[in-house]
Amino acid sequence: MKKLIAIIWKDVILRFSSPSEWLFFLILPVVFSVILAGGTGAPVDSRVRLVVTDHAQSPLSAQLIAAIEETNSITADVLPQAEAEEEFEDRQAPAYLIIPAELTSEAALNGGVALDLRLLPNNLNGVMVEQTVNTAIWKVSSALRIAASSVEEAERIRPFESEAQRAAYYDAALQAAQQEWDAAPRRMTTVEASTPDQIDYDPQTNSSAGQMITWVIIPLLGISGSFVYERQIGTLRRMLVTPTRKGLYLFSTILGNVLMAMVQMALLVGFGVWVMNIHWGNSPGALAVLLAATALAAAGIGTAMGAFIKTPGQASGVAIMSGMLMALLGGCWYPIELFPPAIQNASLVLPTRWAMDGILDLALRGQGLQAILPHIGVLMGFALVFFAIGVARFRYE
Amino acid sequence: MAPILEVRNLVKNYGSTAAVKGVSFNIEEGEIFSLLGPNGAGKTTTISVLSTLLAPTSGDVRVGGHSVVSEPMKVRNLIGVVPQEIALYDDLTAHENLIFWGQMYNLSGKTLTDRVQQVLQEIELADRAKDRVRTFSGGMKRRVNIGVGLLHRPRLLFMDEPTVGIDPQSRRAILDSVKALNRQGMTVLYTTHYMEEAQELSDRVGIIDHGELIALGTQNELTRQVGENDALVLEVGEGENVRQLCEAAKSIPGVVESDTSGSTLTIIAPEAEEILAPVIVQANALNVKIHSVAIQEPNLEAVFLHLTGRALRD
Ligand SMILES: Nc1ncnc2c1ncn2[C@@H]1O[C@H](COP(=O)(O)OP(=O)(O)OP(=O)(O)O)[C@@H](O)[C@H]1O
Ligand SMILES: [Mg+2]
Repeated sequence: MKKLIAIIWKDVILRFSSPSEWLFFLILPVVFSVILAGGTGAPVDSRVRLVVTDHAQSPLSAQLIAAIEETNSITADVLPQAEAEEEFEDRQAPAYLIIPAELTSEAALNGGVALDLRLLPNNLNGVMVEQTVNTAIWKVSSALRIAASSVEEAERIRPFESEAQRAAYYDAALQAAQQEWDAAPRRMTTVEASTPDQIDYDPQTNSSAGQMITWVIIPLLGISGSFVYERQIGTLRRMLVTPTRKGLYLFSTILGNVLMAMVQMALLVGFGVWVMNIHWGNSPGALAVLLAATALAAAGIGTAMGAFIKTPGQASGVAIMSGMLMALLGGCWYPIELFPPAIQNASLVLPTRWAMDGILDLALRGQGLQAILPHIGVLMGFALVFFAIGVARFRYE
Repeated sequence: MAPILEVRNLVKNYGSTAAVKGVSFNIEEGEIFSLLGPNGAGKTTTISVLSTLLAPTSGDVRVGGHSVVSEPMKVRNLIGVVPQEIALYDDLTAHENLIFWGQMYNLSGKTLTDRVQQVLQEIELADRAKDRVRTFSGGMKRRVNIGVGLLHRPRLLFMDEPTVGIDPQSRRAILDSVKALNRQGMTVLYTTHYMEEAQELSDRVGIIDHGELIALGTQNELTRQVGENDALVLEVGEGENVRQLCEAAKSIPGVVESDTSGSTLTIIAPEAEEILAPVIVQANALNVKIHSVAIQEPNLEAVFLHLTGRALRD
């Protein structure tokens, strides 16, 4: 046990003796996660911003603004004209609506008042704003029209006794019409956009999980580099003339690398929780087991690669190349659903695919240990097979 | 008392290369034994088998009565190894290297820290203990390399050409420390291709060449093999004619052996003074310039020349 710790500690000192190791251990993964997630912070308000100048300040204009906001795809900011214009010019908002002073119920009913809607050119959100505003106008004016024609109908049946009575009837009719409208199905609700349907995707979670896997597996795939290094500098030969078993040396070195990977993953998961507001799911235990299995699978492959690796440089080159490729094809960089079906199927032979799927099952789909048991099983299978190959073919000389 | 090391008909082949071809010798507890031989003679290969690193192709090796093949762990506890190539972690400090290797020898706690301090004193690097080995000179690295082999106070220490490639001062320090360790009771197997080192250090010497032990005994026993011959060593200008002079010298009455190595011409004869004049005459005739002349009493160099017909440092 003391020897095991001594060997692991030696590897830790050697690994972090170069300050640049921190770059690969923590700094780059974090930077990549943040950049690829498009920034940190709480879930972003993805509603389109519409600036509005309300010259009318009438009940009707207030209704119109409320109707626009109701669609929950637009947020309307009512601002004085100068301010609103400035925001629009600065492209702080893709659309600017000016409600003229004449917008009172009569004018609107006559259809003689033109609203002024300005849109940024070549902006898809503008089209959406235009439709939403039209829908809102139609909705508001519909309620008014219904109220007005109700009054006309009522008057035809039995004339009102006073103007006050007429007004009261109008108000009651308008209220009823608006209630009907509110109960009616929404004309326009927008769904968060994403390319094919049914992809569970969250930029923060996907990028953090994908970058974590990428940066953790690369050093593990390069594990044979440390064996080759020790063979080259003669310390492996020296080790073999001390009363230390070969198996203990091999086991400790691999275990040390896996533990370093676990620490790395713990730090990255922590960074995700505290800085990027990522929710890694409801089962930290399941996540830990999954990540451990991922590390073991990568370490197994790395050990097996030692059979044909001749220099430490070769080891790190092969580790970077194969690690990146496995990460890409395993869905760590882009959702696997975006790949052609053939690649999606082929990627099942990659541990990265199983690792990524497992993490997303936990983090995005809210599942537990039960659901990712197959993933853990497959990853452990990778580990077993490749460790067996690696240990059997290990060259001490 | 049984010898601490017994080597019986040791054979080691690398594929089709026969590196060691049936070597036998014993080392008694408390002696310094030198294995003297030129490059490629099989010294490192022999030490590798003796220290359980390589399995012998055939033959039997026992350390303290334990077979290197069937009881390697017991053997490893008795031996210390100073490899020919420096085998240290460059990015660990001297202190960290010693602590790590001490732990590999099952040392721990106070014993470990005491031994490390002691060794740092012995190799005179206590003041540089906290520096990375990467920043050390070649000689300092050699000393750490030796220190690692001493940590667990082995009964038998294998040192494989520990002075290769270092300055005379460090070399002196290493030779002195080998003698000091031996005085404290450590048995040493020392390999070298420097005749002077074997001569200074060893009680007994084995001369190895092309994987065979061609001579074995105390220095007196070995030099007696060459008879009471002296060696006449001439430093001459290099050139074609040196070879001719070497051949011509063999026909001078009384000359036993003659060989060249670079600009050095070594001639063996019972009385060097008597052949000096004819050699100079021959040199003049062949137009070979003589820069210096030295007469050496019989030594291991002469033994090697006598046995192989070649100079040790070919
Ligand atoms: N790993 C190996 N594979 C094949 N041949 C080898 C190997 N190691 C050594 N040899 C050969 O075995 C012979 C003995 O080599 P060895 O290293 O034992 O010599 P040495 O006496 O230690 O030489 P030196 O003084 O140069 O260290 C040489 O011919 C060498 O080429
Ligand atoms: Mg050697």
